[in-house]
Amino acid sequence: MAYPEATVAAPLARPLISRRTRDVLTGYAYLIPAAVCLGGTIAFPILKAIHMSLYRHVLFRPQEYGFIGLGNYGRLLRDEVFWLTLWNSFIWVAGSVSLQFLGGFAAALLLHQAFRGRALVRTVTLLPWVIPGVVVALVWEWLYQPNYGVINDLLLRLGLLTERVAWLSDPALAMPAVIATNVWRGVPFFAIMLLAGLQAIPDELYEAALVDGASVLHRFWHITLPLLRPIIVVATATRIVWTFNYADLIFVMTSGGPANATQITSTYTLLQAYSDLDFGYAATLSVVLLVIMLVFTTAYLRVTRGIESVA
Amino acid sequence: MSGRRSGDLAERLLGGPVLWAGLALLVAFALGPFLWVFLSSLKTRQELYATPLQYLPRQLTIGNYVDAWTSKLTPFSRFFANSLWVSSVTMVATTAISVLAAYALARFGFGGRRVFLLLFLATQMFPAVLLIAPLLSQWHALGLLDTYQALIYSNFSFTVPFTVWMLVGYFDSIPRELEESAMIDGCGRFGALYRVILPLAAPGIAATAIFAFVSSWSELLFAITFTSQTEMRTLSAGLLFMVGQYEIQWGQLSAGVIISTVPVAVLFVFLQRHLIHGLTAGALKG
Repeated sequence: MAYPEATVAAPLARPLISRRTRDVLTGYAYLIPAAVCLGGTIAFPILKAIHMSLYRHVLFRPQEYGFIGLGNYGRLLRDEVFWLTLWNSFIWVAGSVSLQFLGGFAAALLLHQAFRGRALVRTVTLLPWVIPGVVVALVWEWLYQPNYGVINDLLLRLGLLTERVAWLSDPALAMPAVIATNVWRGVPFFAIMLLAGLQAIPDELYEAALVDGASVLHRFWHITLPLLRPIIVVATATRIVWTFNYADLIFVMTSGGPANATQITSTYTLLQAYSDLDFGYAATLSVVLLVIMLVFTTAYLRVTRGIESVA
Repeated sequence: MSGRRSGDLAERLLGGPVLWAGLALLVAFALGPFLWVFLSSLKTRQELYATPLQYLPRQLTIGNYVDAWTSKLTPFSRFFANSLWVSSVTMVATTAISVLAAYALARFGFGGRRVFLLLFLATQMFPAVLLIAPLLSQWHALGLLDTYQALIYSNFSFTVPFTVWMLVGYFDSIPRELEESAMIDGCGRFGALYRVILPLAAPGIAATAIFAFVSSWSELLFAITFTSQTEMRTLSAGLLFMVGQYEIQWGQLSAGVIISTVPVAVLFVFLQRHLIHGLTAGALKG
């Protein structure tokens, strides 16, 4: 790598530019590759998306292409499906993240105990988290399959069902079904974060509490929870944003169906682009998604004062 | 550590039956779905669609794997090679780029460090769907559709910000004096980074590299948008295509699912310690 200013040996008698200036310039030079990458794959595309959102831009109707100002945004405000997807996104995020958090917390507490084979169990239980999203979606589609799916079969055998259920094509069941899948995938994330947090809590705190005769619930409430707070704040915020934006699972499993029952805003955006080839409206939806997330993150960090633990 | 002796009933339960029941449940929860797909991938067509459901395959067959691997419509061998190439190049390039950037942010006291860090963090909020339409027109204009480059460059949008963020935390934890003494001994900045910091930060760098590989291996939306020819598909895109185009062949699809999972699962099993440490280090500091 050629960074000539970086290879100059330090003890020069009278450098042309001061050591401090040289350091700063070198610093910027080291940042150039990352800046180029992110400029080309994030900054420029976002500006382009904002630009696209101001045009009527449907791929199979090129003759209608033209500047329409805020026309797409007006359409969005009147689009009932958009408002429905926003509500569905809320259910999707609230259901997924709360259950992932509870499951992950329980898993972390279990995995924090001392037992034989702990390393193996930890590895195994974290696996769903590294599996590609499309794989997760297909695995569960197969499990949910009405006739040959193992879930129906097990529930029938246990007597919890009396007849086969078409999980993904029943409007009332589709959302819970995709949320359950997302929970399976997301529990390990919280388990890892909270486990790391648990391991960072000094043993002495628990020992002191034990001497004072605090019960296990007391210790959990007064030591574990408060000390995990920064991690909980960061992990949930990250996860809420990520889940809100995450489209792969639903896109593959139901494409937002049946009858938009699982249509969240990000899958709706994808469908606008892929099925309707309406790039102007898809860009508008994605810009709105971005704004919602920025507002949410700012508010969340302010409310939880989590910013100190992030930056 | 917990599980100390105490008269507390809740505690004794937690250390004993509850612990083991919980662990059993956890393992079944995590592995059950996989086990089912793995068993399915070894079944013949008749066994897959038998009523009542047949849980264990009677005659183990690898026919589904052979079919998936060599099929002309869904050549998994080709998809596998594509995914391997795209993910490896993404991994190496991401690591090089982010080591330089993170080192600069951790060591050179220039203005805007905080702004840069927040910008890197903010990019993780951007929905991938936001980037799809603009990137499509960008790669189209540059003539990069149906090339590996389009996929690799696009992957930088989610790998680089995160790896920079993780590595800054890691570099921050390495004492400055180490490389300062190396520089007094005649190393340049880059030499100090290369000889002193890189070996010390190896676990963190390994974690970021694996993260880049795994997330690029899983990537779906860019792969289906920027490639259209069968021979350019990655595993994720190939699997999705398999579902979309024909009546679903669950046997072959199960085999495809297992094929797509094995590399990341193996990588994870061997390197999970580093991966987890590296991933949580960023969130834990402060």
